[in-house]
Amino acid sequence: MGHSEAAVLAGQHPQHADGADAAAAVPPSGTDSDDGIRQRIGHLTRTLHDALRQLGYDRELTQARDNLPDARDRLAYIARVTGEAAEKVLNAVDRARTVQEELTGQAGSLQKRWQAVAAYAADGKGCTPAGKSLIGETCEFFAAVGGQADRTNAILTDIMMAQDFHDLTGQVIRRVVTLAQSLEEQLVKLLIETTPPELRPRLEHLQLEGPVVAPEGRDDVVADQQGVDDLLASLGF
Amino acid sequence: MTADPRFLIVDDFSTMRRIVRNLLKEIGFGNAEEAEDGVVALNMLKAGKFDFVVSDINMPNMNGFELLKNIRADDSLKAIPVLMVTAEAKKEDIVMAAQGGASGYIVKPFTKATLEEKVQKIMTKQG
Repeated sequence: MGHSEAAVLAGQHPQHADGADAAAAVPPSGTDSDDGIRQRIGHLTRTLHDALRQLGYDRELTQARDNLPDARDRLAYIARVTGEAAEKVLNAVDRARTVQEELTGQAGSLQKRWQAVAAYAADGKGCTPAGKSLIGETCEFFAAVGGQADRTNAILTDIMMAQDFHDLTGQVIRRVVTLAQSLEEQLVKLLIETTPPELRPRLEHLQLEGPVVAPEGRDDVVADQQGVDDLLASLGF
Repeated sequence: MTADPRFLIVDDFSTMRRIVRNLLKEIGFGNAEEAEDGVVALNMLKAGKFDFVVSDINMPNMNGFELLKNIRADDSLKAIPVLMVTAEAKKEDIVMAAQGGASGYIVKPFTKATLEEKVQKIMTKQG
């Protein structure tokens, strides 16, 4: 641990870069007017900035701030892609249910007709033993279709219910994104307050930049596969 | 309660709205509409006749607690049962929902059996 870092942690005032003692600039206690408080906070901020700069933490703060939008966008990407995946599964479940219902309906209709055939064959009218057996097995099969359809539907329900992960994880991601945003705003404020006035415009510009992943309104990224195809076509591919 | 009650499913996640809608259909209630937050839900409730509300709590614009409060404060809506279906599992939230007039409370993730049980229980209570 360096001298300045140790001093900050110990609650002491490290030296300013110009050699002035920050503590000496703090007004004496007992003058708690608004101006006095602001002045003291200003000096404390300056002291903190000097300490951070001496330790190289201002660069780390800038780097941390620069990385936060990227982290937020990656989380938003995860939320979007998992949401799309869940929707795809739900669509597939809906289609499977429709197919299952059609199958069950057709089986029910055929079951009634085969039951009539079975009743006819039971009288021994023109049916071989093998034919009788086949008719019996066919009737049993159709009778079982309903139960099997119920089991398939139960499995489809399980698959559907498993998609609730999108809601549950999405809520967590949303909270982390909000936290990251708040952290980023505070870091930017800290950086602006601890940066010499002549360098502030650059940081204030950074603050206004916002997320960079969203492709809308940008001409340096493509929004979808059509954009990729159009770009490649324009290049003669 | 009518023979074919009309449900309003309120959740900001479309996947969860679909899940609840499909589950309700499976348990015999195919008449359902969807809203993505409390503001949209309240407008729909005021505009059309609904018999049952299934609502999330943590939503933007107007959360489930605020929606519940608005429903209970409106003479034309206050009799509608409201079943909360939410990931909020804190006791204070559950108590707050009950005190606010919620008819039931389900914590996500939940099962079809749980939803069916709560809905049927509320239906029976409503008569």
